[in-house]
Amino acid sequence: MIPEYKKEQLILKANNVSLRYGDKQVLRDVNFEIHNIVRPNMQQGQVVSLIGRSGVGKTQLFKILAGLIQPTTGAVTIDEDQHIVKPGEIGIIPQNYILFNHRTIYQNLKIGLDFSGRKVTEKEEEQLINEYAAKFDLTEHLKKYPVQLSGGQRQRVSIIQQVLTGNKFILLDEPFSGLDVLMIDKVIDLLLEVSCLNEMNTLIIVSHDIENALAISDTAFIIANQPGKEGATMTETIDLITLGFAWNKEIRQNSQFQDLVAKIKYKI
Amino acid sequence: MIKTIKKSIEPLHVLSTRTIYTLVAAQAIIALLAWQMSGGGLIPTPLKVLDSTIAILSTANFYDNFFSSISLSIKGMGISLVIAIAVSYLSLVPVFNPIAKFIIKCRYLTLTGLIFLFTLLTENGGQLKISLLIFGIVPFFVTSLMSIIDSINVQEYELCKTLRMNNWQTLWEVVIVGRLDQVIEVMRQNFAISWMMITMVEGLSMSEGGLGTMLIKSNKYIDLGTVFAILVIIFITGIFFDFILGQLRFWLFPYTKLQIRK
Repeated sequence: MIPEYKKEQLILKANNVSLRYGDKQVLRDVNFEIHNIVRPNMQQGQVVSLIGRSGVGKTQLFKILAGLIQPTTGAVTIDEDQHIVKPGEIGIIPQNYILFNHRTIYQNLKIGLDFSGRKVTEKEEEQLINEYAAKFDLTEHLKKYPVQLSGGQRQRVSIIQQVLTGNKFILLDEPFSGLDVLMIDKVIDLLLEVSCLNEMNTLIIVSHDIENALAISDTAFIIANQPGKEGATMTETIDLITLGFAWNKEIRQNSQFQDLVAKIKYKI
Repeated sequence: MIKTIKKSIEPLHVLSTRTIYTLVAAQAIIALLAWQMSGGGLIPTPLKVLDSTIAILSTANFYDNFFSSISLSIKGMGISLVIAIAVSYLSLVPVFNPIAKFIIKCRYLTLTGLIFLFTLLTENGGQLKISLLIFGIVPFFVTSLMSIIDSINVQEYELCKTLRMNNWQTLWEVVIVGRLDQVIEVMRQNFAISWMMITMVEGLSMSEGGLGTMLIKSNKYIDLGTVFAILVIIFITGIFFDFILGQLRFWLFPYTKLQIRK
């Protein structure tokens, strides 16, 4: 049974995005839209996946979406007024969870808050950081330096740092890469928790891990090369809500879901 | 015991601190014994060098020379560091980048050919020495600092952008504050160059004394015992400063200690 939901306003749009480096066409006419999904009596954001094989140009698309590089043609627009994305409007969690190594975890989180534009006192900042640290199992690590943390812990710090900036959009580059099965489940729980912090929170996962990316998403976009055409493009949009696969923690046990994963493997 | 010996010849094996100290002590003893047994002619033996060192240390004149060299070296290092840091950080501002690149290339300029020019440009021996020292050190300092800046992961800059920092805030966070520990490391590595150059520049103006002056005078009279003793003192002082700067880095930036392979 499909849960009750509504797709409301457009919050992000990639409009004919192409990227060319010299003679090499990396991305070609990438088009997709993300809408605010509203579920009655629930606070839940959106989780979207951009799935493609390694080397297809996902990282370049990741940077374009974050406003870090400009596409050769086309544009990425965000929010209700659909303005062109600027750096700082979309948070990023790179694959290797970059943090400031010279700052403690507390200071790394504080820096997110300091540049959020929110007017909060030192005490309120401390309270907010402590709240998030407690929520995401980081309280005992606040005085440590990033180098003392495991990959999973660094990932959590990176995500919270971006959440504290007040960014509603968070881009994650290969969040399941190099993690064991148990850790992947934990990351999925964490991401779902982050997406539920605010109705407008939108997580965009860029990944080649089809199964896990689909398991967490409400919408997935397949990015692939097409025969005879240079540059990767969006080849398919999968609405996991209408398929009945979204918002179900146990979906990976579902045989129809596994069939979908198998089909996509051949398509990318 | 055999296990430890095996480990000590195995690549990438990390030994305990105690084993490392034992290894260093054993190798030093072997080297000194070899030196003692092979010496005796023109080259003074370790015992003779030790006698000369004790003799030098008991003269009041030595301490004046020693502190003259130390103060010249620290002064030279301090000024060079300020100039090098300014040049390196400014290299990120496009208009200043060519200046930084030119200074790096100045490593290939020999000081010997410029002594006359510096003599004309400076007012006294003290100024001449400090100017030559700075001219000699700054290109190496800038090279090391620029190499640190060049090796910064581009993702750090991107993170700053997504955290809404402007370019000046990014420069402050990533390059200046974020790499301050490495500035101390550069200072430690380049102190050796400054310390090595000190004897050379002191030879150019001997009126203020210094270890370099002592060395030149002893060489002139082929007093090799004293020459070796001064070299030992220069060597030990260098190692001492190396240690102090290393510890200073760990003390000021505790996270650097966590990154060492154990």
